[in-house]
Amino acid sequence: MIKSSTTTHYSAVVPFYVYAALCFLISSVILFYNHKNFTGPYFQPSILALTHLMALGWGTMIILGASHQLIPVLIERSLFSEKLAYLSFATAATGIPLLVYNFYYFHLGLGAQAGGILINIAVLTFLVNFIMSIANDKNDNIHSIFIFTAGLWLLITTLFGLLLLFNFTSNILPSGSLTYLSLHAHFGIAGWFLLLIIGVASRLIPMFLISKYTNKPLLKIIFYLINAGLLFFIFNFNFELNLTFIPIVFISVAVVLFIFYCYKTYSERIRKKVDNPVKLSLSSVVISVIPIIILCTTLGFKQHQNVVAYGFCIFFGWITSIILGMTFKTLPFIIWNKAYKNNRVKGNNLDPKNLFSQLNFNFMFIAYLAAFIIFITGIFLLSNLLLQTGAFFMIIAAIFYNLNVFKMVSHKVK
Amino acid sequence: MNVETNNNLKLTIALAALENVIDPEIQLNIVDLGLVYEINFNDKEKLIHCRMTLTTQFCPMGESIQSETEQTLKNTFPGEDVIVELTFDPPWNHERISEEGKKFLC
Repeated sequence: MIKSSTTTHYSAVVPFYVYAALCFLISSVILFYNHKNFTGPYFQPSILALTHLMALGWGTMIILGASHQLIPVLIERSLFSEKLAYLSFATAATGIPLLVYNFYYFHLGLGAQAGGILINIAVLTFLVNFIMSIANDKNDNIHSIFIFTAGLWLLITTLFGLLLLFNFTSNILPSGSLTYLSLHAHFGIAGWFLLLIIGVASRLIPMFLISKYTNKPLLKIIFYLINAGLLFFIFNFNFELNLTFIPIVFISVAVVLFIFYCYKTYSERIRKKVDNPVKLSLSSVVISVIPIIILCTTLGFKQHQNVVAYGFCIFFGWITSIILGMTFKTLPFIIWNKAYKNNRVKGNNLDPKNLFSQLNFNFMFIAYLAAFIIFITGIFLLSNLLLQTGAFFMIIAAIFYNLNVFKMVSHKVK
Repeated sequence: MNVETNNNLKLTIALAALENVIDPEIQLNIVDLGLVYEINFNDKEKLIHCRMTLTTQFCPMGESIQSETEQTLKNTFPGEDVIVELTFDPPWNHERISEEGKKFLC
């Protein structure tokens, strides 16, 4: 007899969501107070700090939390160790503010280095937990392969990031750290976030839409294209071949194929009524095209606002929109399972979707879309007013997001 | 919807009761969703054996649906033991959704 999915204890998952929600709010506040810097060059302490807070505190923390919940259901086994999940949280939660605070004030010494080391311990702990969980698993599960490979790229990203950090003070590498920033950034963006999001979304979106469409071979092609693109990017960088367009083409084709996959999933769905969290997640798939267009434009013009807009679209656009949507398709179920798994038939209880306020969600949705559109316009028009207004709406979106997250995590059975 | 059984009369009663077990995500009951594959009744041993599936092995609500199915059958047939076996062979597919279920999802 098969046991139903073995869920990870909520205490090993929920702290990641709470921490990430607070990081999103703090990031929005930093965005608001530093909006003027978005009209200048991209390498500035506040942008460096904000990028790492968004990438690690917001994106990575929520993905690690959700992964601790999803891994057991992906591989049909318990998570190897919940203690390692706690350790991963504790080290990341300590390391991220250390790193971000020191980046903000551009202190690249001991404090930032300690933060970087702690973050690497957190990533390593997560990977060990994942590897031990899937050990001896003979299933050819494409989604697990995506997550595992994404985890490896995350480790490469954070180890390389640590090396760059030490290189600022000790000259370990042949060139200055800024030379390698694009490598570090794209290991994280394409290797970690893109692989991870495609691996998980390609499973969750068809599941939520009850779609007839499946296409494992297409997912495999996407997987190979992204990894080949990344490897060629390293090769190109190392041998100074000036063939940057090749990895861009590889990864762009992968993104377009994934959009096609989502389109087919959507058009062949049985569940016609699509709820707002899924709509928001699907909008992130469309948003993922914008950074690619900007990247292609940047190749030709090298304008600094293109680079800033590219980063903004990735962290506040693509990654944020999918998280804002998927939070409300994962966290309510985690809380619901904790509250009602064993006492559902005793009577009157809520459905998962009623654990958060739909009104707050709608306000968040509208504020977020306004923020994204106004801010990105502000970057291209070099308008401080638009940047400030956009950042203000981002704070509003973050407040409504936090209200809903805290409403869910504080839910008590009545 | 095609549920195998060794007792059609009891099956009708069981399925009517299981229409109250709702998948919390889809908001459709497990009978119309086609999650129930087989219910057999062993009157001699007072044992009900239910074989069912989930829409996906990734379903985080699996434990909850399984335990509610078990509890509902116990309440419907007091004094009988209930075993709810979860299977993914064959895996669930959308063709198992009843016509009423399809109308609900549209």
